[in-house]
This record gives sequence, structure tokens and C-alpha cells, in this order.
Amino acid sequence: RCPSSMDMNPVKQSFQEIKDAVQVNDTFKNVTILSNLHSVKVLSPLDTCCMTRKLLEFYVKRVFKYREELSLHISRGVSSISNSFLTLQRTVQPCKEKSLCPCSEAATNATRTINNNYDQLEVGSAAIKSLGELGVFIAWIDKNYHQETSTA
Amino acid sequence: GGADVLPAPQNLSIHSTNMKHVLTWTPVIVPGERIHYSVEYQGEYESLYLSHVWIPSHWCSPTEGPMCDVTDDITTTVWYNLRVRATLGLQTSDWSILEHGFNRNSTILTPPKIEVTKDGFYLVIELEDLGPQFEFHVTYWKSEPDAQAHIKVVKSGNIPVHLETMEPGVKYCAKAQTFVKAIERCSAFSQAECIEVQGDALPL
Repeated sequence: RCPSSMDMNPVKQSFQEIKDAVQVNDTFKNVTILSNLHSVKVLSPLDTCCMTRKLLEFYVKRVFKYREELSLHISRGVSSISNSFLTLQRTVQPCKEKSLCPCSEAATNATRTINNNYDQLEVGSAAIKSLGELGVFIAWIDKNYHQETSTA
Repeated sequence: GGADVLPAPQNLSIHSTNMKHVLTWTPVIVPGERIHYSVEYQGEYESLYLSHVWIPSHWCSPTEGPMCDVTDDITTTVWYNLRVRATLGLQTSDWSILEHGFNRNSTILTPPKIEVTKDGFYLVIELEDLGPQFEFHVTYWKSEPDAQAHIKVVKSGNIPVHLETMEPGVKYCAKAQTFVKAIERCSAFSQAECIEVQGDALPL
């Protein structure tokens, strides 16, 4: 498997500190962006790598850039999380360079759906919702990187 | 007077030991006036994607300075930029930026303070509490030729840890180093400390 592990603890800690404050600001409760993540039938570890890379990029290139109208408390948390994501990207990057991170159609479709969901909303609302749904991404990483290794 | 430009703080530098990071600078002196300072930071993400975004420091926006504990601002192991400006009433100086940036993986890790004692026949060690980011690798051994050393990972300081049961009349030694997972680094080992249980026979 590449990457062999993903240390999400710094992200979990920072997210825990801002989660409630972020989710209060989410005005579109009946809409989700990462909803399909858990229903995706990931066929191989290679798919997991591809989706991890694309989801990290989704957050880094789209979500974390939005800092307007965030309280100072949330801004600090988002800064901490976004910088942790840079470190996580550096964990995945070698896998791509060694061609261990190709994208199957299933993985590509899944991440395309997430980006499409994001585009349905105005950028501020989409960013706030995606921030609030970080827990979905964290759970997905735990399921794919930690639960399997602990039961292997 | 008021019309004069308030000079920017000079000689910014950061001192980091055991994951506690302190920014210092030369104070701005205006006779008869009390100067305050504001400290701001940006991580590598901000400098890459949002270079205009700076975040006020947890504890030093404002502060009377001329130092600032930025430990709670530096929360990930990436490069950070730090800047300071002086304020006097409504007047603010230019920003001064820390010249080379800072990454917490450069922090100085000191060997931990240890205390080796005995609790009955137990060899006990107590370690300095350095905060939640620190765990300790304790090495202990019987002070005899060819004695094998044992290693124990201790997750936090300030709690007496039983290492092993000692034989009477034999000297036992222990030493420790810190390990910080967030930066994947260890300190040097502490000095070894030894102790011995007097030569009474072991209880049945």
C-alpha cells in the first residue's frame, strides 16, 4: 500500500476545536458534498491512494483558500488544518511519482462527484460545508488506512 | 512627537527549546510612551496560496513585548513566517518579518531530568513533565558485566514508573531520552542514575 499510513491526529485535534463553530455556519443542512464518499466501492489500494490524493487536493486547492468571514478562532483552526494537509500531501506525493497512485474510473468518478457537489453551491457556503464535513474525510481515511492495518 | 514615524521593531529572532517557541525583538523606545506590539503568523499554506493572509498570534496581538510565546500558533511541522509591528495609540510602525522563517523541527531537545528511586524492591523512575507532545524512551539495566539493557516507552512525565523488581545487593541503572512524534526526533540521553537495594533476602 502506498502511502503506508496517514497521521490524521493533528487534523483531528484542530477540527475538533472548530467543528461546532463551523457547522453552525452551514446554512444548507439538507445538502452534502462528501456524501458519496462512504458509498464508493473502492476496489484496490491503488484506488485508495488516488482518492486520498485527489481529496487532499480538493481541500488544499479549493476549500482552505476560503478565509473570508471566518472568525479568528475558525481561521486559526483552518490554518492549522491546511498546513497539516500540506504535510499529508508530501506523504502521498512519492506514491504518485512511483506510479503507485493511478486513478481508476470509479475513483475518478467519485472525486468528480464531490467537485460537482461543491460547484452547486456559492463558494462561501460550499467551503463552509466542506469544512464541516472534514469529519467524513477523516473517517474515510481511518477506515482505509487504520482499521485495515489493525485487523490485517 | 506624533508626526514622527514609529520605528519598526528590529532584530527579530526565535528561540525554541523542547517545542516551546519564543519570538523576541529589540524594543522600540519612545521616551515617556508605552509601546505595544502585534505579532502575526502565516504557515506554509498561507504563504503558498494566500500570501496576503496573516493570522494574529494567540497571545500577542497586542502585547507589551518585546517577546511572544508563539507555541500555540506553530501547530504543524511546516515553515512559518512571523512578523511584528509596534503601535502607539493610533500610530503603527511598519511590519518587521522574521528573516528566515521557522520550522518547529529545529527545536532544541534537551535530555530529560530524571529521578531514579526504589519502591520496596521496585526500580522506579520519574521523568520531567514536558507536555503532551513528549514521550520518553527509558533504558535500564543491571550494573553487571554483559547485563542486557531493557527499553520501556513512557507516554508522559511526572508519574513514577515501576521498571522492574531488583535483586538485593545488585546495582541497577537507568537513563532516558525524549521522543517527539510530531517532528520525529529524539533528544540525547540523560545521565544514567543508579540505585541499589541493600542485601536483605527477597521476601517469600
